[in-house]
Amino acid sequence: MRQFLERVLHTLLVLWAVVTILFLMFRLMPGSPLAAYLNDNLSEEQQQLILQQFGLDRPLYEQYVIYLANLARGELGVSFFQRRPVVDILMEAFPNTIVLTLASLVVAYIFGVIAGAFLAWRRDTWIEKTAVPIVLAVRAAPEFWVGMVLLAVFGFGLGWLPSGGTNSPGAAYDSEIERFLSLDFLRHLALPMLTLAVYLQGLPLLLMRSNMLEVMHDEFVTMARMKGLSEWSIVIRHAARNALLPVLTAFTIGVGISVGGNVVVEVVFSWPGIGRLLVRAVSSLDYPLAQGAFLLIALVFITMNFIADMLYVLLDPRVSHARVA
Amino acid sequence: MPASLEQAARRGESLTLWPRVREAAVALLRQTGRDPFAVVGVTIYAAFAVIALLADVIATHDPLEIQFLASGKLAANQRPGAAFLLGTTSLGRDIFSQLVYGTRSALFVGLSAATVVASLGTLVGLVAGYFGGRIDAALMRIADIALSLPFLPFVIVLSAFLGPSIYNVIVAVALLLWPNTGRVIRSQVLSLRERAYVEAARVTGASTWRILFVHIAPNILPLSFLYGSIAIGWAILTEASVSFLGFGSSDVVSWGYMLQDAFTSQALSRGQYNWFVPPGLCIVLVVVAGFFISRGYEEVFFPKLRD
Amino acid sequence: MSLLSISDLRVHYRAESGLTRAVDGVSFEVPEGQIVGLVGESGCGKTTVARAITGVMPQNAVIAGGRIVYRDRNLLELSRPEAKALRWREIAFIPQSAMNSLDPVYRVGAQVEEVLIARGGHDRRRAAARAVELFEMVGLDPGRLRDYPHQFSGGMRQRAAIAIALALNPKLVIADEPVTALDVIVQRQVLDTIKTLQARFQISVVLVTHDISVVAYACDQVVVMYAGQVVESGPAAAVLDRPVHPYTMGLYNAFPDMQSSAGMLVPIDGSPPDLSQPFAGCRFAPRCPFARDDCRLSGVENRPCEPGHSAACVRAAEAHQLRAAAREPATWLRS
Ligand SMILES: Nc1ncnc2c1ncn2[C@@H]1O[C@H](COP(=O)(O)OP(=O)(O)O)[C@@H](O)[C@H]1O
Ligand code: SF4
Ligand SMILES: [Mg+2]
Repeated sequence: MRQFLERVLHTLLVLWAVVTILFLMFRLMPGSPLAAYLNDNLSEEQQQLILQQFGLDRPLYEQYVIYLANLARGELGVSFFQRRPVVDILMEAFPNTIVLTLASLVVAYIFGVIAGAFLAWRRDTWIEKTAVPIVLAVRAAPEFWVGMVLLAVFGFGLGWLPSGGTNSPGAAYDSEIERFLSLDFLRHLALPMLTLAVYLQGLPLLLMRSNMLEVMHDEFVTMARMKGLSEWSIVIRHAARNALLPVLTAFTIGVGISVGGNVVVEVVFSWPGIGRLLVRAVSSLDYPLAQGAFLLIALVFITMNFIADMLYVLLDPRVSHARVA
Repeated sequence: MPASLEQAARRGESLTLWPRVREAAVALLRQTGRDPFAVVGVTIYAAFAVIALLADVIATHDPLEIQFLASGKLAANQRPGAAFLLGTTSLGRDIFSQLVYGTRSALFVGLSAATVVASLGTLVGLVAGYFGGRIDAALMRIADIALSLPFLPFVIVLSAFLGPSIYNVIVAVALLLWPNTGRVIRSQVLSLRERAYVEAARVTGASTWRILFVHIAPNILPLSFLYGSIAIGWAILTEASVSFLGFGSSDVVSWGYMLQDAFTSQALSRGQYNWFVPPGLCIVLVVVAGFFISRGYEEVFFPKLRD
Repeated sequence: MSLLSISDLRVHYRAESGLTRAVDGVSFEVPEGQIVGLVGESGCGKTTVARAITGVMPQNAVIAGGRIVYRDRNLLELSRPEAKALRWREIAFIPQSAMNSLDPVYRVGAQVEEVLIARGGHDRRRAAARAVELFEMVGLDPGRLRDYPHQFSGGMRQRAAIAIALALNPKLVIADEPVTALDVIVQRQVLDTIKTLQARFQISVVLVTHDISVVAYACDQVVVMYAGQVVESGPAAAVLDRPVHPYTMGLYNAFPDMQSSAGMLVPIDGSPPDLSQPFAGCRFAPRCPFARDDCRLSGVENRPCEPGHSAACVRAAEAHQLRAAAREPATWLRS
């Protein structure tokens, strides 16, 4: 329990630090976007209004307090260019990112776990010896480049799949769920998901493989053999079950990393998610939107790290009991 | 003072940094010979290093100069051939030459970022591990925070604000990657601190800085090398992503820049694989070389590093 | 009648650096319903013998020769399914460290039931009932079936391992250092449990240990191993009372009596030899205080010295005098 509270406190501290870094970054950096924005052909009045609205006419520490207070109320300001609350814009983009992230992670981890367990089981065979360098090479490939190649081949070349966006123009749906389940959406999802999965499968595969190799040497696996249990039971019930713990943690952390790491793939496939939003906001100097998008990504990242910690505690009886005791 | 301690102290005193660096380098090289993966990795690095150094000789054209055909027409979207080995871009620039010069900026970004990451991480790890206490706690908290910033978004925002420049990518990468190195070095220092010869040096009244840099630092150099070699790949990948998103410098030819150029010039829909496949393959090669090298060393020098 | 009879067993380990002849011509018998102690210092090949009997060996192990006959069948010639059918139902194993031999992510009860269901043909209900019975049998509170392995103490884990070993009523139990990780008092309790259950169910046990006092406390027969070979064997009472091989005498001096803590402990100087090197003559010679030149000349055979008791020492005839000398700590202290 104490550890849990410590962990929560630590997470909050980190969150605060990140928020503060962001504040300083956006106010103190050379080429602050405000100048560009205020140089627009706005009237004196409008300019004053915006300055007041963001509290930009006050000293830095006051701005900081206002900033924190706004954040605490979930108030992220209004986009310079879209003239809409940042929160609304983020909430439109976020589901797209989450769906893409989860779909690709699930595919990548299912594949990676099975392939990793298989390679460990067939260790020292030519399959294993060739597969590992290939996996490393695939992991070394920039995601956006993999996306470009897949897009050129399957999107433009063969014309099997659409080349970007989430839905064909003109399609209308009653609800978000219905939209996500539509064939049209899934066809749009296929390529970006595949691109991310190609990159993401490497980690669970390598993790699973090395954990399995380690666990297969553990005495309880030898004992299972002596008991005459079936190979299936030994590999799956005992070895894989133990090797899976760190992989689940990696999955959770992976969700956090991918939400921000998807940026480039979202751009390649014009996927209207948070990452693409961030890139657009940054390039068009839409500072409230960029700040909001970054904060959301960071929040998800930090939260998932926290959950990963907690999950480990829940899933590994050794750790959970040690913490309770 | 026990004889062994005295001996250790004397041995310690005779140690200076450079022989130890050389030792570490030799150990690395010897290890390389034993691990086929590492041999491949080092070979790739060496090949790219040669290409980068001889870029002026190898390249057939100025990478940014617009080329014209004999007929006087713009040499746009040429197929690969004798005149243009890998063809030309939509603006008539020679792709092969861009690729060759891209090696230069890739290695520059990779090596400088790796150097900064490794030095910063080593310094922080040394100080945190050796002094412990509040300094340690503070440095490790900072490391936690740096690791809690989402990597690519942070680099994007930073490079956008700092302005498009290859140096800013290096700075951004260094700011976020040092903590990995720092943490590992720290734990290594924690255990080295208790070793006999360090103890001996302390007893003989060696100054703190002397102990740190003469006695401890040389022993963690292989680790610094290792993390440096991992950072090379990361930095190159990051530079490529940043350039691809359009936050890179437009007067330095890098592989990421080439890919962005190809992407925004409809090379994909025109099926110009000769344009966007080679730079990607080059990135894969350099990054995987780092993986191969570090993989071997990790296993040999620090078998239990991951725990 | 012997339940198990091992003759001229040879087991090698392959490694990059060469071949380790871990077991080099070992023969002994395990009579029905008796506890046979397999004793020797660490690295003498005891675990290798034990694992060869179970048929589950490390990947780099090679059985280079010999026979392991269990009820008229050579275990080394069984087909895979035949061998698998014997496992646990006939031959069970108690490991040294029950902590590592229990799967950390499953409750202990689930692991008892697993073998009952998978190998004993029990359904869930009967398995659960049998698990309770087994726990009571080994002196554990059946309530603890719901615990995870890490919640058990060392002694409890060892008892759980015994319960799992006995689950399918095996005829033969191989116990590899079953009490080594425990403190002396718990050692005795666990050995008592093994002894009681062994007598009750008329099980044969091969009890591997490096501690000769464990043999003295629990075994009917003893087989002393040194450097991959048997150097002395026979009824425990005879061998311990009248050891013939100097190594056995040395081992005796090196461990405290389990019953009383009196007596001075004198370790044997040095350590067992590297088994990847070739040998000439008695393998114990470099450490033996009674070694003569002829000890190093040629191999020493196991020869009977009294009924059922044999030893491999060229000075076996002088055993009486050597025993007297061996009782002097000075004999074992080298300058
Ligand atoms: N898997 C293995 N690979 C190589 N050598 C081994 C292996 N297991 C044991 N050995 C070697 O075989 C010899 C006998 O080991 P072991 O049977 O474990 O002895 P004991 O149980 O008596 O301590 C030792 O020298 C040991 O180093
Ligand atoms: S044969 Fe010789 S060396 Fe070997 S145990 Fe007997 S007396 Fe000692
Ligand atoms: Mg053993």
